Amino acid sequence: MARRSGFSAQTLSVLASLEADPAAWRHGYVLAQETGLQSGTLYPILIRLAERGLVEACWEDGQPAGRPRRHLYRLSSDGLAAARSALAEHERLQKRRAADAERARGRRVAVKGA
Amino acid sequence: MDRTTATLTGLLARLSSLLPAGRRDWAEALLAEAAEVPPGAKQVAWLCGGLWLVAREVAMGNVIRACAFAAGAVGLVWIGWPGASSNSATPLNRVYVTGAVVLLAAVPLVVRRYFGPVRRGWAPRAARVCVYAIVLMLIAAKAVKDRDGSKLGTYFAIVPAEWILEILLLLVIVGYVAGLFILTSQRIRLSRWSLPIGIGLGVVTAGALYPLARFGFGSAGRWWGLAALVLPLVTSVIAGRLAVRDTRPGVLGAFGQGCLAASCATATGALLLAALTSATIALFPHQVGLEADGKSYIAAGGCETCDPVNTVIPRNLRHEYWVEISVGQAGTGPLAAILIAPFLGAGLGTIGAGLAGASGRRRRAGSGAQAAALPASFGQLAGRASDADRDRAIGVLKTAFEQGRLTKDEFDVRVGRALSSRTYADLGELTVDVTTRLQPGG
Repeated sequence: MARRSGFSAQTLSVLASLEADPAAWRHGYVLAQETGLQSGTLYPILIRLAERGLVEACWEDGQPAGRPRRHLYRLSSDGLAAARSALAEHERLQKRRAADAERARGRRVAVKGA
Repeated sequence: MDRTTATLTGLLARLSSLLPAGRRDWAEALLAEAAEVPPGAKQVAWLCGGLWLVAREVAMGNVIRACAFAAGAVGLVWIGWPGASSNSATPLNRVYVTGAVVLLAAVPLVVRRYFGPVRRGWAPRAARVCVYAIVLMLIAAKAVKDRDGSKLGTYFAIVPAEWILEILLLLVIVGYVAGLFILTSQRIRLSRWSLPIGIGLGVVTAGALYPLARFGFGSAGRWWGLAALVLPLVTSVIAGRLAVRDTRPGVLGAFGQGCLAASCATATGALLLAALTSATIALFPHQVGLEADGKSYIAAGGCETCDPVNTVIPRNLRHEYWVEISVGQAGTGPLAAILIAPFLGAGLGTIGAGLAGASGRRRRAGSGAQAAALPASFGQLAGRASDADRDRAIGVLKTAFEQGRLTKDEFDVRVGRALSSRTYADLGELTVDVTTRLQPGG
């Protein structure tokens, strides 16, 4: 139940940060900062997402001065749809869990009161 | 710290060349990003992550497999190659170990070319690793055993007929490996349990038979016979029954699966038993019981005239001669069993699978709805569908057609669309009106 969409929590966080501004191309370090993931976790996730056609990747045009060319990422149209539904699903799940916890607390209080 | 980052950067750049072409971009991307990361511990952590990435990707590729095989091959040659030039088994052993290494290395490449890579899941991979280990052990043990059995080389000349038989045995063993690779490849569609059941029951049977006779058939010959009859029948019945439940299209029928599983079971059993008995003989040659003729010779005090077989062997070598004859002869039964085991299994498996199929069909009549309740509805899932999902959707449509929910025309159109659909949503559309009513209680 917890992983209906088949994405891990880390992957969801990558999808969430890409989905925040779907048109923009991001590079790896920005994503790492936004998600708090280590490079060794982030890049395998990006590779899998790119292989499934959910993320588009390309090299920056031209040679910028003073730094190497960046590899850039953004969601494909399929990726956007998948990210939105997975995030919505995740949110629904969180809400349901919170509600369940609330109800359980209520029940405990009731038992104590009785 | 600067030196650390420089070293790590250099290492990463060098190691990334180990990656397959499609993955090198990612390591380069990670390196390019390293310039953005604030220098110091963070940058070191970033680069270490890159090394981790490369290690992960390389390990998932071929390198680990190639290293494991190379280690096995070196071990095999190290054990099998040495031998005195006076030992008649030495040339045969050398041909054997080289031939085995070359053929075992070639099999995966050839099979991959025609049947595709390994099927997904744990069972096919585990089966491949186990069978390779068993074959390497068998060939190494056989080489040692043959060497121990031919020290008096001049009296154990290996005649051409024997060469032919030995080479045939090697080819049969490699044939086993090729068969296994084909059965575990992507292009062969078996249901999930056929292979684990076949191989598992074969291994269990071999494990049960081995303690009864550790140096060959011995007095446990009738148990071997019994196992050779019962194992394929039982395996084919179980595998056939389970295969019937697999409704995916394109999967081999229950009958075929039963036969294949039975053949796998006998083949695995024979191979493992031959490997175990050969290894035991190789490790404990002095515990091998003497041949009957040798025993009577020794019992009679080893006199010149009481040697029952020949008078060619000089008197002082006769005891050694009989010991070596016994070691050489021991374990030939299990080795010979390798030659017929798969065919025996397939033959008896036909009977078992036939029986299972007949009773399975009777039982299945009228329980179609149960099988159809299997698939989840695709509509709620996001993302791209896989081949397995398409197969599942086609399975749903098939059941719906069998139950009269779809006409033949609708069924054909929908199967065509299912095959060309790309997302779960497409599959959901195709199956939603036949799955909702099939869900239990829905």
